[in-house]
Amino acid sequence: MSDQETNFHFLERFDKRVAQLAKQAEEYVHTDPDSCMFKLRLMVETMAKKLTSLQMQGDISKDLGAMLGSLERGGIVPRRQADSMHAIRRDGNAAVHGSPTPVPTAMRRLREAYKISGWFCKIVKRGSKVKLDEFIPPHPPDPLTKESEDFHKKIDILEESIEERRIATRESLLMFGPQEDVQEVTRRIKEELVALDNVAAAAGEPTIDADFVALVMAMDLEQIEEDPRHGGDSRQARREAEQQLEQIKKHLADRENEFLEERTFLMKQRDTIC
Amino acid sequence: MSEADPIQVATLWFLSARTMAIAGEEIPSLQESATGLYAQAILGFTEDICLKAKDAAHIKNKTLIDCLSGLRQLPRELSEKILTGVMMISYSDRSMKPLEVRWASMLASAIEVSPDEFQRCCVNARVIASMLRPHGAES
Repeated sequence: MSDQETNFHFLERFDKRVAQLAKQAEEYVHTDPDSCMFKLRLMVETMAKKLTSLQMQGDISKDLGAMLGSLERGGIVPRRQADSMHAIRRDGNAAVHGSPTPVPTAMRRLREAYKISGWFCKIVKRGSKVKLDEFIPPHPPDPLTKESEDFHKKIDILEESIEERRIATRESLLMFGPQEDVQEVTRRIKEELVALDNVAAAAGEPTIDADFVALVMAMDLEQIEEDPRHGGDSRQARREAEQQLEQIKKHLADRENEFLEERTFLMKQRDTIC
Repeated sequence: MSEADPIQVATLWFLSARTMAIAGEEIPSLQESATGLYAQAILGFTEDICLKAKDAAHIKNKTLIDCLSGLRQLPRELSEKILTGVMMISYSDRSMKPLEVRWASMLASAIEVSPDEFQRCCVNARVIASMLRPHGAES
């Protein structure tokens, strides 16, 4: 790829602003990786806003994390693209808050932005054909020294490890395992459940809980909490559940901080050597 | 079943939860992630246990009868927590289909909860469902 070329030419036909941000990120990736991350984060934010305005109704959150969450829950952004967009958001935020971005990290996110861009084009213009060529990493302005090459390798290994840990966290939270055939499992469980239902019905067991469950569901939460029979329990349950949920959220946030610290540690090591 | 076998317990949780989600005929992403959050935040399983519990070696050959039988053998507090979580999955879309009612009924029978205890589980499930939804328990 020559200096005049870019991986993101195709984007111009679909969204000029997103294309401009992508090209700027590409330009900065070697010389100023923090700025590259700013641009990529802004690019993702611009994409998210466009997708939200095109495909969602109601109040739109201004927070990028919440916006991506809504798009993902609404089935507009598939999981793989959402993961990449969140990764760019996190690393972009870290750069904004002064955590230095290594070149290999910025390059990794640029590559992800390239893949997201292809998908984005197909969403904003239905039926459009976008064939992505292989991503060509921009060349550094000057050849890398042996030390820089070694450092980049170390960062790449760290990034791989962070990626694996993030995937493990994500997969641990999901209902199905990564190796499971969800359709097949669903079919099998449904079949079994219907069979059990038939057996219960044949045995004369009515769905006795139906009225009761409907009653509970029809009640407002506040009314249940005010009920002296259940009020204490529900308030206690809320306190306990909130605490437990906060612990998990804190654990997940701490993990992300650890990833950043590991990266910063490597950056400092390099600075010490240089 | 040994109390000290968290992978087996986690397998029972994921099987009960996904059965409720399937009974509801769709599995939105909210229910998906709520399952894991509940497993880790409320039931106290680690990431590693959650991953192993969904491994084919543990979950593939388990039938719903195995699941009901396994739940029956758990300490009461734990099985009630699982029932609460399953009801949370059911509440997350604010509607219950006949098969969801049947599965809730089968679980309640398996762990032998009284109507009052079941109602308490439902109240707690509503509380937690409202916390895990982005806009409270609203649809």
